[in-house]
Amino acid sequence: MRLVVNGRERELEDAPTVAALLERLGLQGRYALVERNGEPVDRADYEEVELEEGDRLVVARPVAGG
Amino acid sequence: MQDPLVIAGREFRSRLIVGTGKYPSFETMREAIVASGTEMVTVALQRVDLDAPGESILDFLPEDVLLLPNTAGARTAEEAIRLARLARAGGLPDWIKLEVIPDPRYLLPDPVETLRAAQELVADGFTVLPYVLPDPVLAKRLEAAGCATVMPLAAPIGSGRGLKLRHTIEILVEQADVPIVVDAGLGAPSHAAECLELGADAVLVNTAIALAEDPVEMARAFRLGVEAGRAARLAGVIEESETARASSPVEGLVRS
Repeated sequence: MRLVVNGRERELEDAPTVAALLERLGLQGRYALVERNGEPVDRADYEEVELEEGDRLVVARPVAGG
Repeated sequence: MQDPLVIAGREFRSRLIVGTGKYPSFETMREAIVASGTEMVTVALQRVDLDAPGESILDFLPEDVLLLPNTAGARTAEEAIRLARLARAGGLPDWIKLEVIPDPRYLLPDPVETLRAAQELVADGFTVLPYVLPDPVLAKRLEAAGCATVMPLAAPIGSGRGLKLRHTIEILVEQADVPIVVDAGLGAPSHAAECLELGADAVLVNTAIALAEDPVEMARAFRLGVEAGRAARLAGVIEESETARASSPVEGLVRS
């Protein structure tokens, strides 16, 4: 499945949900904020939200700032 | 709690809010946060570098402080609203430091976009703490929009110049029905004390602590400055006088 994650195209096999994508990206157990096609995804739904071909995702997190 | 700072119904013992940017290390940041006595710290949001995720700031923040996500990087109301919604959906608090900054040289906030974003975010259930120039008319508009505080800058972000906009911040304080948090431009604990003395409810400090030679000791110094300023405000600072007023007897002097 072809996805765009943080502006870069990625070919991912077997990443049907947001949670599975985060795991493929090596971010399991990390605090990640996710936006799918411009809409924020609720943390409680990471296991349920199914990804589709061509989805554009932003994976962000809190960082140091004032 | 004695003399708490109350923002949106939540009580804070500390009147110092601390930013987490620019520390030499996450370990020093954590120590400084503890030394400051703060109960609220700001964080920014950034895309994860998927090739090198690195350490997470959350592993270094004390658990009992409230995280205040900011909308740094937003140049329009829409961009700020997007960041706030992303933060909340991802499980961060629904408190948001709203900053909409189109200009990179002076980092001055856009009042029109800020007000627009504030109205929408309040309607969407956020507790909104907007960062603005100290414009008394804008401050009342933000209050009317339902903002939890108004956060005027004292001088440009990171400049360390102190309370350059004192006069209009005094007007904000005089007219305010929500807490006034002086945010940005403070360089020394005396600046923080001055803000609290004139009646500001709290200050937000980042660069002055993070870039000090010893950030942990400077965090403690700001804590003391804020406490001194607040105590002085409650004690009532004397009126200034054009001429001298003797502190010692002027009659019955030994010399005569």
